[in-house]
Formats: sequence, C-alpha cells, structure tokens
Amino acid sequence: MASSSVTRSRDVKLQGVPASPGIAVGRVLRLDERGRHQFYYIGVSATQARLEVRRLREALQEARAQLKEIKTRLAKELGYEHSFILDAHLLMLEDPRLIEELEHDIRTRRVNAEWAVRSVTDRAIDAYKQVTDLYLRERTSDLEDVATRILTILSGHDKFDLTKLDEDVIIVAKNIWPSTVAELDFKRVLGFATNSGGLTSHSAIIARSLGIPAVVGLHDVTRLAKTGNILIIDGTEGCVILRPTKPVLSLYTAKRKRDASRRRLPAAEIAQAAETTDGVRMTLRANVELPTEIESLALFGAEGVGLYRSEFLFLTRLPELPGEDEQYEVYSKLAASTGEAGANIRVFDLGGDKLTLEGFEAEQNPALGLRAIRLSLKAEHVFRTQLRAILRANLHGRLRVVLPLISTINELREAKRIIADVKQELAETRVEHRADLPIGVMIEVPAAALMADVFAREADFLSVGTNDLIQYILAVDRANENVAHLYQPLHPAILRTIAHLVRTAESQQVPLEVCGEMAADPLQAIALIGLGVRTLSLAPASIPLVKNAIRSVELARVRSLMKDAMRLTSSGEVEELLARELPRQAPRFFAAWSSRA
Amino acid sequence: MKERSVTVSNRLGLHARAAARMVRRASQFNSSVELLREDTGETADGKSILSVLLLAASRGTTLIIKTEGEDEERAISALAELVEQKFGEELSDGVF
Repeated sequence: MASSSVTRSRDVKLQGVPASPGIAVGRVLRLDERGRHQFYYIGVSATQARLEVRRLREALQEARAQLKEIKTRLAKELGYEHSFILDAHLLMLEDPRLIEELEHDIRTRRVNAEWAVRSVTDRAIDAYKQVTDLYLRERTSDLEDVATRILTILSGHDKFDLTKLDEDVIIVAKNIWPSTVAELDFKRVLGFATNSGGLTSHSAIIARSLGIPAVVGLHDVTRLAKTGNILIIDGTEGCVILRPTKPVLSLYTAKRKRDASRRRLPAAEIAQAAETTDGVRMTLRANVELPTEIESLALFGAEGVGLYRSEFLFLTRLPELPGEDEQYEVYSKLAASTGEAGANIRVFDLGGDKLTLEGFEAEQNPALGLRAIRLSLKAEHVFRTQLRAILRANLHGRLRVVLPLISTINELREAKRIIADVKQELAETRVEHRADLPIGVMIEVPAAALMADVFAREADFLSVGTNDLIQYILAVDRANENVAHLYQPLHPAILRTIAHLVRTAESQQVPLEVCGEMAADPLQAIALIGLGVRTLSLAPASIPLVKNAIRSVELARVRSLMKDAMRLTSSGEVEELLARELPRQAPRFFAAWSSRA
Repeated sequence: MKERSVTVSNRLGLHARAAARMVRRASQFNSSVELLREDTGETADGKSILSVLLLAASRGTTLIIKTEGEDEERAISALAELVEQKFGEELSDGVF
C-alpha cells in the first residue's frame, strides 16, 4: 500500500448526506466501479510497480499454460477444429499491444496488476462495443473470459465471494449497485460510504431497511479510503472519519455503544399496536426488496408487506430474466410468511434509474422515459410471466399487485385486460392459482394524483409512492446531490397533494396506503397521519421507531396541526412548525428524538 | 518497407479464426506488420489479435499489408498468400 502523505494523515473528515442513522467503526472494503469483480485499486510505489509487472507476467504465463492444457484436451476429445476459439484466447494472452498497455498502466498509474487488468480490458471491451459487426462485438465475451482468467490467477482464488466475507467491513464505493447489494453478506457489513447518491438512492434505502449506518454523496471517499483503512461512519450526522486517531476512535466507539442501546427495543414494545393516544389504530407494513428480508418482518412487528419491490429479483442477474418458477418460489414465500396481512407486489419497476431489459436502449431522460408499467406493457411477455407466477403463488396467501408509474387510465385498463387474460389462460390450462387478486394503482405521477378519483373507480386500492411523487411534483432528481436539498417531502405542495388523495380515497371508498421514505421518518410519518393517512409502509427496521412516534401523539391534535401546516408557504416553515409543536404535544417521544440530532 | 494490397475474400472475413491465423503467421517474422483498411484508413498491428479484430474487415475489404524489417520480403509474401488463400479456411490444412 502507498505511503503517500494522504495515506498518513489522520482524522480525515468528509461531509456527505446522512442516509441511514447510526455509527459504524470498521475496516474499509473498497469495491470497484461496477461492484462486480472484486479486486481493489491499490496505489503502489515505483519499486512495488516493478513487482506488480512481474506478478502480471507470471499470471499471463500461468494463464497460457492453463489454456494450452485445455486446448490439448479439447483437441483430443472433440477434434482439432473445435479448439480454435482457445487459440484466439491464447493469442489475446500473447497480444503484444495488450501486454504493453497493461505494463504501461501499472508503471505510470502506479496501480496493482488486478486493477490494470480490469481497467485495460474494460477499455478494450468498450472499443469492441463500438464496432457495428455483431460477430465482432460478441468477441467481448472472449476478452472478458481472458480477463477473468488472469484475475483469478492473480487473486489466487476462484472468485472473490461477497456472500462470504471473512471479517466485518465497511463498504466504500462510488455507488452501490443493487446487484452488489443483493449479493452482499449482510452479517459482515457494518455500513456503507459512497461517492454519489442522495437520500433516496437505492444504497440509502437498503441501508435503512437493514438498519445499518450509511453516508452517501461523499464525492471522493473512494479516492481517499483504501481497503484495510479504519473508517468511522456517522450516519446520523452524515460524515465519515478516515484513519481516526486513538482519542477520536474511542469517542466514537463509546458513542456507538450508547447509540446501539437506544436502538434496541424490548420485544413487548414490538408487539404493541401502532395506536395514537386517542385510540386510533394505524397499520404499519413493510417495504421489502430482498427475499432474505422476508424473514425479519416479524422481528420488527410489520403487518404484512405494503411494497415488495419485485425488480430486485432481476437486478442481480440482468439481462437474464428470472423464470416463472423462480418467481413463483419467491412470491410463495412472501405470501406464506405474510398470511392474512397479505403482501403487495409492485410489478417490475425497471427502466429509469434502475437497470433495464435487454433490447431496450439507455435513454436521454430516463426518469421520463420507458420505465415501470410502460415497459411492462411493451415487454408483455415479461409482464405475463410475472403475473402467472403471482397468481399461482396467491394460493399460499393474500397477494395484491401494484402497478407503478401509471399516468393514464388506458394503462390501468390495458394492464387489467392482460391480467384477466392471464387468469383465463391459467384456468384453461388447469394451472392451480387463486384468481382473487386485487389491483392497485401506484400514485407517483402528478397527473395520476390529480385524476385519483378516476383511478379509484377502476382500481381496488391506491398506493402513494412518495419517493417518485415528490421527485415528479418538485422536479428534483432524488439522487443528484447538487439538488438534493430541493427534495422536500414537507413542501406544502406535497402535503396538499396527499391531503387531496386521502379525501378522494375516502369519498370513493377505496383503501389508500403510503409507501416511500417519508413514512420511515418519525416526523414525516406523523405529518402523514395528520393528513389522514392510516396505513404506512416503510423499511422494516424503521417500524419500531415510527410506531413509538405514533403511540406518543394524539391524532386530533396532529390533524389540526397539519391543517395549519398546509397553509404555510414553504417546506422550511412546515419543518419549523412541526419541530416546535410536536415536542410540545408529545414530549415523551419527540423531546428525546429531536435532542438526538 | 514493403507494401502490398490484398482483398479479403473468405466468407466470414477477418473474424476470430482468420485473424488468429494472420497474427500467428505475422508473429513468425521479425519485421513489424501493419494492416491498413483502404476504405476507412484504420490501421492495426498485425501481431496483435485485439487490434486485428477491431479492423472488422469483412469479405470484400481491401487491406494494405505493410512489413518492415530484415525479413520484410518473406513476411509480406507469406501474409499476402494467407489472405489470398482465404486463410486456409475452406481447407483443413492444420495451420495450427
């Protein structure tokens, strides 16, 4: 590891966006840009660079020897003609240009051999992707194969296995990709620190749902923190401290202990109802992304699942699609474990800032592009496969579907037509399923919010997705740290929209649920119930905290407080009002809670 | 320096197997080998598989082979012959 002045300096404090509260102290594990192949960037000295070049040459030689052996065996078993592709691989390993570039990278950029192999082959792969000849574009897989072989030899084991980490780590990355997150060994992950991302980026959402501290939007934490360094994450303050000195370290270790004891809740409290002091009962459901989270629902006292983000099934394996049976397994588990309380499956919300299906190109303006229900209706076979799996799994419990990003009534009607068609197909082919499947519309687009009465007449329930609704009403990209401050859940425009939705749902007599990050923040959750919302769906780990907040307030007083709030002119004024009034109304919870910040 | 113009005439063009044969043959000589696509002006190092593949020379493409070094004459003859004989593709000549 380099011994530059940057490495030696202690107590390097970086300020970012607090994404998930709590304190973590541990060693850094830095993931590469794609978070897939696990070898780290390590800066090296000139002397070490020479050693890295030698390692590279040895690895190339070993790779050639392996390939020659395979080729001989293949030629013997299948005949000479079939071994030619290995010749191409062998020639790549001998390619003078490639080797020159690799060695040049190590020497001039002073990086470890693994990093050079990854970046040089990535560049070559990019060059191949520019070629219009389809056959040649496919050669990128040969190159990827060769790169993997070299990397495997360099790292000395088959594949760095993120699902089995051998020590506790803090993940440092430019961005945490959903695919990486889904593969992580969570028992070993103490926290996340990332360069980019805002409060509602996926890394932040997942960190909160797992109850691990995270700070995002740190700009250059990947440049400063190296694998093995000690790092402190303060997810409450939104800062990280790199290579802490002893006094700072012991200060935070003590802080972490206090913090942990505050977060722990006795089992009795978890079993209590989310009831206000004046006896109105709220329903707290869970937002779930990973199948592994299903098991922890009872632990947090969730009443079923209000939002299952089904696209996470995809994100670990794109562009390959999970088959019907595989989806059926996961949905069955979801149905069986939620029982009477039930689970809402949001159909694939792909596209946009999430990855998209094969055959669909990246777009100029993905937030307004082909995503969510628009993509499902376009890639109907994918939608149908998912619906078949849901209808079959529905036998094991009470599932409901939620259609994301609906903006016109035609989309709802078209989706309903397809659902009816799939039911008929299942019935005709005598596939066991349960056809009683309520259909909900996700209110995320301002047009849908304004037209909620129309949707309420044709849907079984409304689900308000606050993350996207806020993004579209306020025209703020939630993951862009330059405008993250404009992402204001308590903006009066948002409050008025939600109040309108509550009134509409009541007059049309359809159930309404609110899911999204707003519901996970105690102050904002109280604002929501004050606006008349009765069912909230939030990250499981946040349920106990929000429940305590609800149990500390009187609904009648909160309702009149929110009436005042809606007449205010800005988010800042609303926050001020709530921060002043709630500790007065509910000192048991809010006095302690606000002094924490 | 020697230069000769040849036309890729095998069915699949300079794809993996043909490129591999080209690179193998080129590497047998001490001279440097450069391939130039006449239509686009793109060049490739004849001893680098990755660079030859990137030329994406399909059937009908005219290539200018340039060799330079002590054995440039032998190199250019051997390589031109390889292209003209369609990289031995239609024969099972066991080049490797």
